[in-house]
Formats: sequence, structure tokens, C-alpha cells
Amino acid sequence: MIEQFKEWEKNRHEYAKQWKENTRGKVMGYFCTYVPEELLYAAGVLPVRILGSHEPQDVTEPHIFAMFCPFCRDCLAQGLKNRYTYLDGLMIAQSCLHIRQAYTSWIKHRPVEFEKFLCMPHKVQSPHAYEFLTEEYKVFKKEVENWTGKEITDKALDDAINVYNENRRLMKKLYDLRKRDNPPLTGEEVMEVVIANQMTDKAEHNKELKKLITTLEKHTPEREVGSRLMILGSEDDDTVFMNMVEKCGATFVVDDHCTGSRYFWNEVKPGKDRLSSLAARYVDRIPCPSKDWEERKRIPHILQMCKDWRVNGVIIMQQKFCDPHELDFVAIKKALEDAGYPTLFLEFDVTVPVGQFKIRVEAFLEMIGEEDLF
Amino acid sequence: MEQQAKYKTEKLKCWDEAKQIRMKYYQDYAEAHERGGIRWAGGAWTFDAIPAGLGDDVYPITSEPYSATVAFDKEFSLQCLEATEKKGYPRDLCSYMRNYWGSIITNKFAFGYKDGQFTPRFAGAKPLGFPKPDFIWQDHICCSHAKWYQTVSDLEGGIPMFTVDNAVGPANELTDSKIKYVVEQLKDGIKFLEKVTGRDYNDELLFKAIRNHFVSTSKWAEICEQNKAIPAPLDEKTIYSLYVLGTLQKAGKQVAYFYEKVLLPEVKERVKKGIAAVPNERFRVMSDTQPPWSFLSIFRYLETFGCISVGSLYTFGLIGQWEVKKDGTWGAKTIPDVEFSSRDQALYEYVKYELHKPEWQHFYSCHLKSDMMIRIAREWKLNGVMLHYNRGCEGLTVGIAENRLALLDAGFPVMAFEGNNADEREFDEARTKAKINAFMETLGAR
Amino acid sequence: MITMGIDLGAKNVKVVILKDNKIVAKSNVLAGFEVKENAQKAIDIALKQAGISKDDLDKVVSTGAGEKLAPFYDETKSIVGCDSLGAVYLHPAARSVIDVGAEEGRGMRCDNTGKIIDFEVNEKCAAGAGAFTEAMSRALEVSLEELGPLALKSTQDIPMNAQCTVFAESEVVTMVHNKVSKADMSKAIHDAMASRISSMIRKIGFDKDVVLVGGVAKNIGFVTSLNKDLGLEVVVPKDPEYVGALGAALAAAGWKGGA
Repeated sequence: MIEQFKEWEKNRHEYAKQWKENTRGKVMGYFCTYVPEELLYAAGVLPVRILGSHEPQDVTEPHIFAMFCPFCRDCLAQGLKNRYTYLDGLMIAQSCLHIRQAYTSWIKHRPVEFEKFLCMPHKVQSPHAYEFLTEEYKVFKKEVENWTGKEITDKALDDAINVYNENRRLMKKLYDLRKRDNPPLTGEEVMEVVIANQMTDKAEHNKELKKLITTLEKHTPEREVGSRLMILGSEDDDTVFMNMVEKCGATFVVDDHCTGSRYFWNEVKPGKDRLSSLAARYVDRIPCPSKDWEERKRIPHILQMCKDWRVNGVIIMQQKFCDPHELDFVAIKKALEDAGYPTLFLEFDVTVPVGQFKIRVEAFLEMIGEEDLF
Repeated sequence: MEQQAKYKTEKLKCWDEAKQIRMKYYQDYAEAHERGGIRWAGGAWTFDAIPAGLGDDVYPITSEPYSATVAFDKEFSLQCLEATEKKGYPRDLCSYMRNYWGSIITNKFAFGYKDGQFTPRFAGAKPLGFPKPDFIWQDHICCSHAKWYQTVSDLEGGIPMFTVDNAVGPANELTDSKIKYVVEQLKDGIKFLEKVTGRDYNDELLFKAIRNHFVSTSKWAEICEQNKAIPAPLDEKTIYSLYVLGTLQKAGKQVAYFYEKVLLPEVKERVKKGIAAVPNERFRVMSDTQPPWSFLSIFRYLETFGCISVGSLYTFGLIGQWEVKKDGTWGAKTIPDVEFSSRDQALYEYVKYELHKPEWQHFYSCHLKSDMMIRIAREWKLNGVMLHYNRGCEGLTVGIAENRLALLDAGFPVMAFEGNNADEREFDEARTKAKINAFMETLGAR
Repeated sequence: MITMGIDLGAKNVKVVILKDNKIVAKSNVLAGFEVKENAQKAIDIALKQAGISKDDLDKVVSTGAGEKLAPFYDETKSIVGCDSLGAVYLHPAARSVIDVGAEEGRGMRCDNTGKIIDFEVNEKCAAGAGAFTEAMSRALEVSLEELGPLALKSTQDIPMNAQCTVFAESEVVTMVHNKVSKADMSKAIHDAMASRISSMIRKIGFDKDVVLVGGVAKNIGFVTSLNKDLGLEVVVPKDPEYVGALGAALAAAGWKGGA
């Protein structure tokens, strides 16, 4: 059912190269989901999210000190190993300091035609963030127009927003199907769909998504559901881990990851002008912990998800050295446990072997499954 | 190994005065309530001229220097770090933050009274309980800034908190919209302050505090500029004890006065008379990021080779404000020649000036920092650079590996050593000294 | 001129005696807990071998982690300085030197006189040092001597994910459960260790003449993995574990390159 998505995810580089050949368009690599892809899409640029490859690597030591998260180093390694030579541009929106280093090192050692650090505000809870970001977008829009040599028309922007919004609605529909007693897809499969979403043409993804949803609507899988789990935390595209857990008698029914629900959860709402509406979407979206202050707005959102998806337990995946998440998980863990959701905390690396985690996951599932046993 | 003295040296005359300013600062904070005053907490980079508009009896405590004080007290620091770990906070987080949280969790202040005298704990005082601030006034450019106080508020059972996002991009791309974003937040902040304290805000006090801020930061840069001289009038270990005043209360009049009227004239005098900080100065280096506070002895160790650290972008640019002068060199930023006529206008000038802080630029790009470091290496006539790969501070260590490559490219030998500014468990003194030995061989000092 | 170099490493004490810059004696003794006594033992062996007494020594330089524990010496010199001096003496074209000892990996770049230009030390991490292979040989239940040659018989690449000795041990356990052959595991172990070391070397940069010294240079499995990773053939001198002590003796003689 999800073969196409898997194929896109596994062969991401071939996909982008092929897209370039077919469309003669430009490809923009981006870090972090605060990049307003709609603007790029409207300019005929394909945005692809840079992710790691989960292999041990030894090329980033000269560039990023080892106290920063393995994910940012894994991403940079992809650039240094020349796996993204087809990129015409590279950009990042202001988020955490870790991933920023992948960007700054990359543009110096593997220069691209167009580079951009977009100053996404940190205080998304400030009423002034909207206007500030709108102004930043105005500048960015001009820069992209200069780069591609053509104007981004209102119509193109509307079309792009529509395609992206449709994608978000479809993704939410897909997630809604997981509320069933017997979710038609595993967490691993959904992860493949979301990751593929971050590196393909959204119009194409939408087409495939619609097909998938139609199929799933009447699909009841044979497998045992087991405990219903939520997974949340740092950037996480570790399908191998998901697979391992779901083979231990559990199903991931929902997540709060930037490589998951946080990516598509919020839509652009039409407003006074297009750029302000777009800015409002990125200011109001479910935040990355680096922007979730002074109030911790993610907590009620997570608790609501647990309730709506009838979760039995939560796995907190903490990327090693990821400070923003480390600054939230103590509060999140407490909130979850106070609300009666048991948690398992795992600190992972981009290359952590599943063997060590399996024992802990099994014990956790045994623990939360106890009520059913006695 | 001990080198012959080449220059005369003498102790800094204003040393004791600097120490007194610091001690009085902590005492004022601790005793504020007894005098009906207000106390608040925030980071060393916060816009501290703003709370000054609440009155003359408003006393801050800035988090980073306070935590460095805790770190200096090894025994107490360990208690704090362990208390924080016990609460479930990871060990690789900012070590200042963990010392600070630990001081709250253990409810022990790093100061107290000994024979009625306000004294640090390590000097024998019985520590006071941690004096809870009335409100939090923070800024945010490092990922840990706002989150630091979010947790403080959690630990203290809720303290009103306001944080200003000042991460609006590098100074060379500053626009009106970026400045206004920060100004508007400060205006919201003033409303917040009025609400939580129930006081009316006084713009005249604000104007004075901004003036103090201009003086402190510009004069501090001018003091550091004096260190271009050979022999250097100040060594970095001494600079730490002096720049710290700016991190405590850069908008405070006692700091502005001390920098402008006391310290700067004395340092200028030292240059004129050729008084050296290190009498056997033969090699000049700089460091980077906060030092491992409980191992400042490594600087003394350098001196045994005739090697002096004359400063760092960290000490020069964390408080100091700089500009490129007509001859192309770095000098103290000119104090804006403006009269303050309204709150909006004063805030605008304040923000426009402050967003040029050198230590804020590398948050956007390590390459901007490399350029500044190479500039310092050239203009301060350095033989090499020691980079502290500091596990305790992601904000200042971000991009440090690229800085290393850029400095090497520019022809400066670099020694990188790992450590932690405020968690001594992560610093290996013997290994670092062994590294220094080898580095001194590279420089030809051994 | 007769000089002596003493290298007090984390595991062994190595001594080299030079007469007019020619090696006349060398010895290697386990450091153990009684470092001073064992260092004396190593010195005595070397003196005997050279057929001289302590008084014949013109100058003695001590180096290594325990340099100050030598029973006597005139000067100390950093181990990275000694390594590069020794490497340039043995292989005059050497400009990059890697030293992998029991508890530390070091990399350096030097000039034609053996003077260090830049260096890096793999700190506080056993995964890039000899101790790692020791731990792994225990986990695989093969002797340390067999571990290296075993890797050459490997037929497939298995990435070792854990970058830390403790986790690597449990990963080996997982591999055992998955019935991975000992040869493949051994290769995985050496690849992981080589990756650590090449990561460190990349930080300082290297050119084609790379000399590998230290006890671990004798491990063929490690050398093969390192060569593959760096894309070149490292030069391993005869008796690589003595290079530090040799450099110390050369430093004592004031040697600065040339014949």
C-alpha cells in the first residue's frame, strides 16, 4: 500500500534528480520545518528536507564539535559526502543552534547558487511575531524572485498554498484513520509517508495520498494491535526502531515529531494578505520546543492527542544532546504521568542499535500491558 | 622554565573597588526586600535598562555570572549539579543553568553572612536560602535562554516571566522592521512590569539607565582596546574579574562610572608607563568561550612559558560594543549623540545600538565570528589561539570547529581543548596541561 | 653523544638509548602499579643491552602520560613532539603521524624537523584506543593477538553503530545473537575504531605520508581498516611502540632532522 512512499523515501536523491530533469526547475535543500515551503513551491522550486542517512560517519569532526546532536552531524555528512550535489539552493529557518551548524558548514564547504538563513522569530507567542515574519518573507520572496528570474504571482502563491493545505488535510485524515480500534497502518508505515512528504512534489504526494486513504478506508489489517503508543520528541526518522517496537506487540497510533505530525498539523488560513497568512501559519503552528515559551503550549496539545487517539503509553525519543527537547521532556513526562499515561524515555543517536532498546521496550510494554493480564 | 622578567609589573590599583562593586551587587539583591525594594532575575544579556525604570530600589541578579560564582565553589557546585540531575534534568545541558537550578533546588545561595559580614559561602559564610525573584526579565538568542527561566518558574512554583526575543539576525542585515520587533516587545515588557509590580514606570530613569548602558559597553571596549599594546596591561585572568561587572548590571551607574572614570584611566596609565600584566611576556594568545571557572590556574601555567592570554572575543565582545574605525581597525563604539525625547525613541536607540553586540553575531553564522577572531588575532598581535571546546555552553561553542579551521587558514596556530565552564567533572587538568606543553612547543616557547 | 628517551605510557614503559643518533638499545616493560620501579627496570635492561652505565648518559628526556614518574631525567617533552620527531627520523617524508596507544589516540602534523604544526588528541574515549580492542577481544572470546588477523577473513561489512566501548560490547552481544561470524565482528570492531581515528585525523588534515606508531600499529586488522578509511597506505615502522621513546632520545640529542 505504501510502496510508492517507501520508494520515494529510499530513493530521495534519484527522485529529486528526476524531478529536475523533467521540470528544468531548481531544487532547494532545507533544514528544519520552519521553512515556508509554499513560497518556494510557488516559485517552481522543489523544496527537499535534508535528513541523515543513519550510517556511522567520520567526516564531520573537523566541522561540528561532538557535543552537538548526532542528527545535525549526520545531515552535514550527507553534504560533505556529496550526496546532494544536485541542490541549487540551501536554506534554513531560525530554529535550534545545532542544526544551524549543518547549514553554516555546508554553505562554506559545498557552496550552492542560493543560500538563505531566514530569520524565523523565536518568540512565536509574541503578538509582534506575525508582522516581523511577514516583513522577513517580503525580503525572502524578492530574493527568490531574483534567483529564479521570475515573479511569484498571487495566483502561484494561492495555488501553492492550496496544494500544501490539501496535503495537510489529507495527512490529518490519514492520522484520523489511526484512531480506529484496529489502525489500518502501522507507525512505521505512516513515518514512511510523512518522510516522503518532506522530499517530494506535494501535488504528486497528494495524488498518492488520496489513493492510499481510499484503500485504507476499507482495510482491516490482520496484525495484532497490542498497546496503543504515542511517540514524541526530537527529530526522528528511525523506521528501524519503529519496526522493532511494533513487532513487540504494540502499534504507534500518533506522534509529536517534526518528522511527523508537527510538520503538517496546521493549515494556512486565508487572511488580509497572502504573506501575512503564511506567516501566521508558521507562527501559530505546533511549536518546536526551542520556540515553545514562555508558556509550554505543546503540553495540552500532546495530552489532547493522547486522549483522542486513546493512547496506552508514550515513548519519549530524546536525540542525544538535543537541548531544546531536553529542556521540555521533564515537564512533558510529568504532565503525561499526572494524566495517567506511562512513559518510556529513550535517548537515541542516529545510529543506536535496536538490540539495546528492545529489552527496554519489551519491559515497558509488559508493564503497561499488565492490567490486561490480571 | 620560568622566564626572565622583561617588563615591570604592578597590581591593579582599582582591584579592590571592583571586588566591592560585585559583593555589594549580590548583597543588594539579597537584602532588597528588607528595604522595600524589588528584585528580579534574568540573563547577563537581558535589556536591564528596562526594569531600571521601576525605581532606584530595583535589584537584579544575572544568571550566568551567578552560576560562575557557584562553579568557582567546587563543593557547592557539585551539590547543585547533582541536585539537578536527581530531578531528571540531563547532564549535558548548559552547566550554568544546572548550577543555577541546583542553587534553587537546594535552596542555598552562594552568599551569606559571616560575623555579620556579607560573604561568599566558600569564604566561610552560612549560605542564605535562595532569594526568590519577584519577576523574571530575560532575553532569548540562545536556545537555552527562555527555557532556562521557564524551568526556574516551574521550580519556584510560578514566577511572572517576560522574555524578549532578540534573535533578529546579524547586525550587518539590520532593518527597521527588525529593530521595531524588539522595541515592541520591550514596550509590552514595560506593561508587564507595571502590572506585576503595581508601580508606575518612570521614563527618566529609563533614559539614565540606557545612557549608563552606552557608557559601560563602549568604555569596556576601550579598556580592551588598550590590550593591543605590548606588553599587555591586562591579562585575561584579570579581565574576567573586571568584565564581570558588565555582566552583572551594564545599565547600572556604578558599573558605568567604574569603567569610565576608574578602570579606563588606570589601564591607559599602565600602557603609557609600560606596565605589564605578565612581566615575562614573550608570546601572546587569546582564548575563546568561558574558561573552566574552577581551573583558572591554566592561565598561570601559560605564564610560566612567557605566554599571556590577552583576552578573547568572549571578554571583549560579550559586554563591549565595537565598530570599525576610519583606519580599518576595531575600536570602541561611539556613544550615540542623541537626546532622549520619548520612550519609543529611547527604546529604538537602545535596541539599534545593542543589536550590534559582537557575541550575538555568531549565533547566525560562525563565519562572522571567525572574521572577528582573525581581526583580533591580527590587531592584538597574537602568536596563536586557544579554543575552549566548552561542553557547558552550546551558545558560545556553536560553530567553534569552523572557527578553528578559519584561524588555521589565516595562519594562526590553534590549540583546542575540551572542558566545561561550570561542571568541573568534565575538565581534565593534567591532559590540558599536557596539551599546553605541546602547544608551547609549536609556538616555540618551549 | 649518548642519550636516553623514556616513554611512560598508560600501559608500558619504553626506553631507547641512542649513541650518536643510532639506536643501541631498547626495552619495554609493563608499567603496572609500581610505575617508578618498573621504569627503573626498563632503564636497567636498556643500559645493560647498550653495555653502559647511567653515568655514561649525556642527557635523558622523559615523555608520555607519566613523564614525571621517571626515576631520573633532565627534561620532559610532550609525547606528540616526541612521536613526530621519532617518525620523521624513521621516515623522513613523514608529515602526518598517528599514534594509537593503550588509552589514547593522537594525531599530528609536523614539518621536516619533526616540529609539531598541529595536533589532536582523542580524549577520554576508549573507543579510539587500544583498550577498545582489549575489551572487544574479551567480548568475542579470542586473544588480542588473534583479533586483528581474524578481521582479514571477514566476508561482509557490518556497521558498528555504537561509538562507545560499553555500548559496543552490548552490540557485540546482539551480533552474537544474530549469528554474525567472529571474523565479520572483528572487522566491524576495527572499522569502528579506525573510523574514530580517521575522524580525529581529518580534523587536523593529512597528506600522503602518514606514519602510524604506537602499540596498536601492530594490529593488522586495525591497519587494514584505517587504510581503507583514509584511502591510502599508512607507513608502519618496525617496532612502532618505541617511536615515542625514540623521539625523546632524539630530543635529548638535539636532533632536528637530517642524517
